[in-house]
Amino acid sequence: MGETTTSFLPVFVTLFPMLMTLVIYYVQKESAKLRNKLSVITSIITFIAVAAMYPQIIRGDILVFELFEIIPEMGFVGTFRVDILSFCLALISSFVWMLATIYSIDYMSHEHAQNRYYPTLIFTLGACLGIFVAGDFFTLFIFFELMSVISYVLVVHEETEEALKAGYKYIIMTIIGGLALLLGVINTFELAGTVSLEHTGMITTASGLAFATFIAYIIGFGMKAGMFPLHVWLPDAHPVAPAPASALLSGIMLKTGAYGLFRVFFNVFNVEFLQETNWIFVVTVLAVITILLGSAVAITQYDLKRRLAYSSIGQMGYVLLGMSLFTEAAILGAIFHIFSHAFMKGCLFICAGAIIVKTGKRDIRELGGIGIKMPVTMIAFTTASLAMIGIPPLNGFLSKWNLALGALDGGAPFYVVVLLISSLMNGLYYLPIIINAFFGEEVLHQEIKADDVPFKMLLSIVVLAVCCLIFGVSPINLPFDLSRMATDLLIGGGI
Amino acid sequence: MTFINVIHAHSTVLLIVSFLLFSFLMPILERWKNSWCATMAVAAHVLAFVFIGNLSWRVFTEGTIHYELGGWSPPWGIEFVVDYLALFMLITISTVSFLILIFGTVDLTHELKPKVLGLYYTLYLLLVGAMMGLAVTNDFFNMFVFMEIAAISACGIISVKSDRECVEASFKYLMLSAVGTGCVLLSVALLYMIGGHLNFAFAAVAIQDVAHIYPNNILVALALFSVGFIVKAALFPLHVWLPDAHSSAPSPSSAILSGLVIKIYTVVYLKLLYKVFPIELFDLLPVFDMILILSALSIFFGSIFAIVQEDIKRMLAFSSIAQIGYVFLGIGLANSTGLTGGLLHIFNHAMMKSMLFLSAGAIIYCTGIRKIDDLKGIGLKMPVVMGAFTIGAMAMVGIPTTNGFISKLYLALGTLDANKHFYLAIILISSFLNCLYYFPIVINAFFGESEEEDGEEEIQVKKLPLRMSVPLIILGAGCMIFGIFPKYILVIIERAVEMIL
Repeated sequence: MGETTTSFLPVFVTLFPMLMTLVIYYVQKESAKLRNKLSVITSIITFIAVAAMYPQIIRGDILVFELFEIIPEMGFVGTFRVDILSFCLALISSFVWMLATIYSIDYMSHEHAQNRYYPTLIFTLGACLGIFVAGDFFTLFIFFELMSVISYVLVVHEETEEALKAGYKYIIMTIIGGLALLLGVINTFELAGTVSLEHTGMITTASGLAFATFIAYIIGFGMKAGMFPLHVWLPDAHPVAPAPASALLSGIMLKTGAYGLFRVFFNVFNVEFLQETNWIFVVTVLAVITILLGSAVAITQYDLKRRLAYSSIGQMGYVLLGMSLFTEAAILGAIFHIFSHAFMKGCLFICAGAIIVKTGKRDIRELGGIGIKMPVTMIAFTTASLAMIGIPPLNGFLSKWNLALGALDGGAPFYVVVLLISSLMNGLYYLPIIINAFFGEEVLHQEIKADDVPFKMLLSIVVLAVCCLIFGVSPINLPFDLSRMATDLLIGGGI
Repeated sequence: MTFINVIHAHSTVLLIVSFLLFSFLMPILERWKNSWCATMAVAAHVLAFVFIGNLSWRVFTEGTIHYELGGWSPPWGIEFVVDYLALFMLITISTVSFLILIFGTVDLTHELKPKVLGLYYTLYLLLVGAMMGLAVTNDFFNMFVFMEIAAISACGIISVKSDRECVEASFKYLMLSAVGTGCVLLSVALLYMIGGHLNFAFAAVAIQDVAHIYPNNILVALALFSVGFIVKAALFPLHVWLPDAHSSAPSPSSAILSGLVIKIYTVVYLKLLYKVFPIELFDLLPVFDMILILSALSIFFGSIFAIVQEDIKRMLAFSSIAQIGYVFLGIGLANSTGLTGGLLHIFNHAMMKSMLFLSAGAIIYCTGIRKIDDLKGIGLKMPVVMGAFTIGAMAMVGIPTTNGFISKLYLALGTLDANKHFYLAIILISSFLNCLYYFPIVINAFFGESEEEDGEEEIQVKKLPLRMSVPLIILGAGCMIFGIFPKYILVIIERAVEMIL
């Protein structure tokens, strides 16, 4: 194992975007162009800063930094700590965020209230990375709340009645989740006397309070991760946001919940304890319901973005299932699926955004023949959809394969059946879109020049689609290697 | 140099005397140089900062200050004690009331008739002086006098608007507050009867000695004190005067009443409980459990009532009832974490609620709107005011990086330390309820549908004067700064708590 080194990078990736928010906010009075450029540059610098941690992380080092003490006597300090798991999440988040910001420049150019959109987008980036690089649950909670509350502005961006309604649901659920999480954190502090992520197995004696803590965490993080029955805000909130924001909400922000649960299972509690008490079974059952429900409801949706949102619920179910099975392959599958899903869903949502912005149509039934008119976008969409279904050699296959292996290792072939059924359902709701797009009768009588999508949008779409392709079974698979290292860390208990 | 020596030796009493002096100067100034009133009121506060600066330096270097008024040593003379708790209250009162006053110098010219403007400052300074007196006094009768001054001047700054609502509200307040002070006076008499002392410290010793002879006297005295202070601090179910009084008064009055006045009674009550009454008494009469139950009811019902309000200031007033419940919750928990949370909430809530009332005042000043439903789209027109309101709302709900979060965190940990999980649930539920009535206002203000509003008449917005926006910005920044760096205020509070327990 590597050693612990002090590094300023974890703080930088969090605070830099937050500080740039102010700059962006004041610059926009001068020039909208400068604002856009600054936003993109900020996201690129942040991504580079995250990537700069790679050499140290790959050696197995743990980067720490202590910013300042919030409540010193209680040990609630603003610590930052990056291990391989944090790094995985931070890397994928900053990468997709960068692409989404680049995409936004063209996508948002006709939208209203851009002055509000960009600062929020960049601030949320900082808060989101803060969750991943936080060194204790207290800091994590602060960033979690910041991200959840501020991203409300992204959800209601359109300010239509529908958006406001969805936003209200979102904010109420967020507050409930946040309070549950707070309950979890203070219970942990009460029981263990510490909330630092340096420790594993902080709570290993079963008691009423410990169970309450467990449930509180499940509610708090499960809310964010769209776990059944706390997913109700998700299908409303994600489709109403602007496409790049939906991509981030679905692709990245859901993962903060999953990341939190990883930390809860491996740091607050530990594997033996959760298996002994069988509490983890709660999560497994909920994950199975989440998978089936998300996929099943997605079939009934005809609004393109809404279908994608339900699909997100189903996909998050995979991650939850993987992490709750506790076998090596299953955890590997879960972590890798975080990567995969970020690429896939990010790609799908921004493709949907491009389609909607070009045609003005959101209903799947009206999208016949769109593939001929927007070939690049639809090919990217097809790639990501096929990855969702789990067709080799795309990345979705690799994560499902590992999940299935994990389920078999755990002696529970039932979950393999669940995975198969849900893959089938994924096929049922993605394939019709593709078939209709390429071979369907042209219902769209609008004249669209071939792929008249602005370059910056196309760039993001293509990059994400290519990621889905090459991070499948190609021999050089950085996300997979990172996932494997993270799995070793979690299983080895070397956190 | 003699001047500095005088300040150094007598700053405790000079602090209060200067407020009284400036206050009685106002009626004269008002006839003569009307425009000077506001400036002089501000000057009184600036002077107070000097005295408090001196006091805090001495408390931190030398420890608790015992000041004997007129050189008469207790038990014969009146004694002022400045310890960390008193210092904490002095700092809170002076800072917040200074900011409210700055705001008021503009707002009051709009809300009041010019005739009463000078007199308003008289009452305002009297109120602030009396509150500071309550914070430092160590004498029963002196305490009673300051309570009366505070009560009368508080009624004055409510009824000064002299419309029907205000007069009715202040009359209600006067009656209930008279009941409260009556109870307190009676219990002072009961304690004097058996103890023969008016000084807190001497009375405590005397009561301890005779507790087994006259247990009923002491119990009744404690009960009367509790009723008196609970009325004054507006804890459920004796809160009935507060919503009317705080919502109808001019905005600076509402801000100081909700932000500071109800808190000072809480602190005096806390002082009495720990300084005067013997600990064994609490086994006999579970006063802390009683406080806990009342505070839980207060937190819960305050929030519930606030949800159904249509008038923004009335909603804020009901929210105050819930928030004072937090402070009492901290007292009732009676452990160091909980008490720290309660005291911290005094400071935090003083900032948040005065900021919220001032922003409501600014909205009324600029647009004349009081109804919550009419506030649609106001955020884009008054970004500073609604920005402050948003920070206040987030602090009320307890979103991290605002100060409200820190006090709730302490209270929550305190409930766990005391092994009272039920109250933890109350805290969490009430945070959620707070969100139900604060967030819709913020959401409506910033994210309305602008297209639909074209048909309706546009809200006319006056420009916000600098003297109104600056206090809001300072308070807003304060809420954030003490949310991220609470240690700067916790330094005092922790020592105060250590001393009390």
